[in-house]
Amino acid sequence: MAKEYWALSELLARVKEGVEDAFPDRYWVKAEIGSWSPRANGHCYLNLTESEKGKPVADIRAMIWKWNYPQLKDFFEQETGQKLQAGITVLVRVQVHFSEMFGMSLFIDDIDPAFTVGEQALAKKKAIEKLTAGGYLEMQQELVLPRLPYRLAVITSKTAAGYGDFRRHLLENEAGYAFQLDLYEALMQGDQAPASIISALLEAQERPYDAILILRGGGSEMDLACFDDYDLAVAIAICPVPVVTAIGHDRDFHIADLVANRYVKTPTALADLFLDAYAAEDALLDGLETRVRRAVAERLNAMARKVDALAQRLRFTAGGRIDRELAALALKEALIKSSDPRKILSMGYALVTGPEGKVLKGVAPLAVGDRIGVRFADGAVKATVEDVESDARSGRA
Amino acid sequence: MQEEKFDYAKAVKELEEIAAKVEDPATKLDDIDALVTRSNALLKACRAYLRSVKERIDKLEVE
Repeated sequence: MAKEYWALSELLARVKEGVEDAFPDRYWVKAEIGSWSPRANGHCYLNLTESEKGKPVADIRAMIWKWNYPQLKDFFEQETGQKLQAGITVLVRVQVHFSEMFGMSLFIDDIDPAFTVGEQALAKKKAIEKLTAGGYLEMQQELVLPRLPYRLAVITSKTAAGYGDFRRHLLENEAGYAFQLDLYEALMQGDQAPASIISALLEAQERPYDAILILRGGGSEMDLACFDDYDLAVAIAICPVPVVTAIGHDRDFHIADLVANRYVKTPTALADLFLDAYAAEDALLDGLETRVRRAVAERLNAMARKVDALAQRLRFTAGGRIDRELAALALKEALIKSSDPRKILSMGYALVTGPEGKVLKGVAPLAVGDRIGVRFADGAVKATVEDVESDARSGRA
Repeated sequence: MQEEKFDYAKAVKELEEIAAKVEDPATKLDDIDALVTRSNALLKACRAYLRSVKERIDKLEVE
């Protein structure tokens, strides 16, 4: 009554044969990377999965042999700017393999980065469309950064090199501008990053900050998918405080940048954003100072010019007066010269002086016997009055 | 704190008005002296304000 039976290995050998006969080629398969574990031996073990509406509908073990793994990983990451890891959707070329010991698995020997890029672009496009439809893109744009932002909350990983750069650049500025800077720690990469950043964002907006900064500040350039997260984008959009992102990736923009009030590339640029606001105020003050100084200098110059003009006018006017005085003087001199008594005497007249030596203009003061002096042009004589005759009208000596 | 009472925007506005007044030829020379003194005081206060530590807001305690 012995039943016919197969040894397990025989059965599985048949299965293997059947499977490998059924799938003799290599096939391109679209799947999500479930788990992902590169091993010390150089091989990479992973799971390929597929879900529908959040529920897994397919799952299989897969591996990339060590002779393929490094090139394949580098190629993918270079092309996509994305880390090859769990959670991303890939298009891989597989060979179906069956092992009597380990069951079914897929050997991956090629990957198509363009597909992942496309998938992500599509997912991103969809997210942007959804955000646009919800009016989330403009929300932060309606908030205005204060003229002098002073109270700043920084969401970042404390250990991020960029945070140190930012802090130093901002607080040790040469001009001596002051800021209040508070750190809110969050995970800045990986699956947990969006939730962690959202929670920090909610915490920070409880306080009256002038701005909330999301600073990635280093880490792998590969691991930026979290900044395309829809929920994070919404949290940034509805934040009542202006959010500035510094995720630092030249290749592409991120949805977080798109919804933020503004975004910059580097921690230094982030610090400059605030320092520049203060420097602009300083420049404004310098400009006002220059305006006042210039106006005063111009006023003083104008006054100096006025004084110069006045002095010149005065010199001119005074000069005229002196000339006139000199002319008058010359005239008087001529007059005096022309009335010099000696000139008259030389014409035959004589000058008569009385007993007291005073010039006589008539006979009236004289009496007989008075001594008088008679002055000629060339000399004088003394005489005595012998007779006085007075003309009725005028006296003449 | 004294800085809290200082209204920076108002001070800058006053400085702008002073500059306009000083530039106005109709302003008397006697007034200009007072305006310059006032503008110097305002400039000093504004520059100090940009570099001053304002009253802190206290961060939430992280539980």
